[in-house]
Amino acid sequence: MADTESSPPGVEVGELLARADAGEPILLLDVRNDDEYETWRLEGRRPIETVHIPYFDFIEDAAACVDRLPRNREIVVLCAKGGSSAMVVDTLRESGVASRNLAGGMIAYGEYLQPVKVPSGDPGLATWEMWQVNRRGKGCLSYVIRSGREAIVVDASRDVSWYEEFVRGLRAAIVWVLDTHVHADHVSGGPALAARSGSPYFVSAGEGFELWQHVTPLVNGQELRLGGEGGVTLEVRVMRTPGHTPGSSCYLVGRRHLLSGDTLFVKSVGRPDLGGQVDAWGRALFHTLRDGFATLSDDTVVLPAHYAGLDDVGPDGVVSASLGTLRRTVPELQIREEEKFVAAMRAALKPPPAQYDEIIRVNLGGATVDPEKATEWELGKNQCAAGTRHPAL
Amino acid sequence: METRQLDVRGAKCPVPIVRARKEIDAMRAGDVLEVLATDPGSVSDFQGWAKTSKLAVLKEQRTEKDQTGREIYVHVLERRA
Repeated sequence: MADTESSPPGVEVGELLARADAGEPILLLDVRNDDEYETWRLEGRRPIETVHIPYFDFIEDAAACVDRLPRNREIVVLCAKGGSSAMVVDTLRESGVASRNLAGGMIAYGEYLQPVKVPSGDPGLATWEMWQVNRRGKGCLSYVIRSGREAIVVDASRDVSWYEEFVRGLRAAIVWVLDTHVHADHVSGGPALAARSGSPYFVSAGEGFELWQHVTPLVNGQELRLGGEGGVTLEVRVMRTPGHTPGSSCYLVGRRHLLSGDTLFVKSVGRPDLGGQVDAWGRALFHTLRDGFATLSDDTVVLPAHYAGLDDVGPDGVVSASLGTLRRTVPELQIREEEKFVAAMRAALKPPPAQYDEIIRVNLGGATVDPEKATEWELGKNQCAAGTRHPAL
Repeated sequence: METRQLDVRGAKCPVPIVRARKEIDAMRAGDVLEVLATDPGSVSDFQGWAKTSKLAVLKEQRTEKDQTGREIYVHVLERRA
């Protein structure tokens, strides 16, 4: 086992990503098994050189493994949880090779949250601030909007204390917790965050679908005011946008920023097949994108709840695009006829990951889950986009 | 021929393979080791390790449930000649 006294300190995920993003020539040594390595890898904003040697190969023949590693490079070793990589760090040290362990491994990577400030693009609106919170290991995006001493959190991940601390750092208090929809790929932190902050919580399952938990209902077009008395008033307008799910909502923040949930991504649209009703939900999605979004101008900044890969991340680190650009470039938005749109959605059908049904049940309030199980369910990247452009997902 | 059992329930990687290897090392050709683990990652790990191991052959893998409903992954290994 790892000799913790003489092992070098581990590297935190945040430090590793920041340094790799900045272009430091770090070598990753991934010691997970082949299946885990093929399914899900650590990614930086630019490619990170990675060597894959399973930890049990080190157990069998350490010298042969060590020979495969380039020298004179900083080596960071990672595994699923951080235990096997710690052992490999010790093995390498015994062979005279310095390396450091990625603390918490891929589990920590999958849970790491990075806040990136969204440029308001309008000096007149500088009185409010928005952060896109990037859960990089999963490609999940949540949002924190602050105006005056009040904040709204949208699509919170399960690590609710992170949001509490972040909002506290902004010297604000959470006054609303929103989800754009009942998520299938991760357990929502929304209900717990609302309960702990004493705020109202909103999510919709959609008409005819039962929600087993308390929410404060919001209707289409309703405006939430953020900023409090004497503060700056920011309007957050609720748009009901069925399609990806029957209860999906988007939130228009101020005049120009659209939190689009899983309705519209920066390269594709949300998949409408997760409920097993691709025709009905596909039709709803077609009308949402065509009619529901019709009043939104081309300069609307679309900020989605997910992204698929590094190509989706802008140079400023924000995942966003103008609605005008998306209207020109997203393949599904080029389809003008409902029947053809539905046919395209049907053709892109793919089986969802097995755990999605269980996650949905928890997010509807119909079941609870212990953190360890939730972590297991949430391993890997999201698979929420329609597959017409990302067949590999 | 001897059949031994190794209980590594609750242990996380690399412990199941480290201990299984130690055990197998001390066994004779043809002896069988049944490893009881709770880490779901152990299923692929034992498959991968058996591919490169000079000591062990993976004869069988099965999933059982204990009294509390917890899933137990049983890996059956045979010591090579």
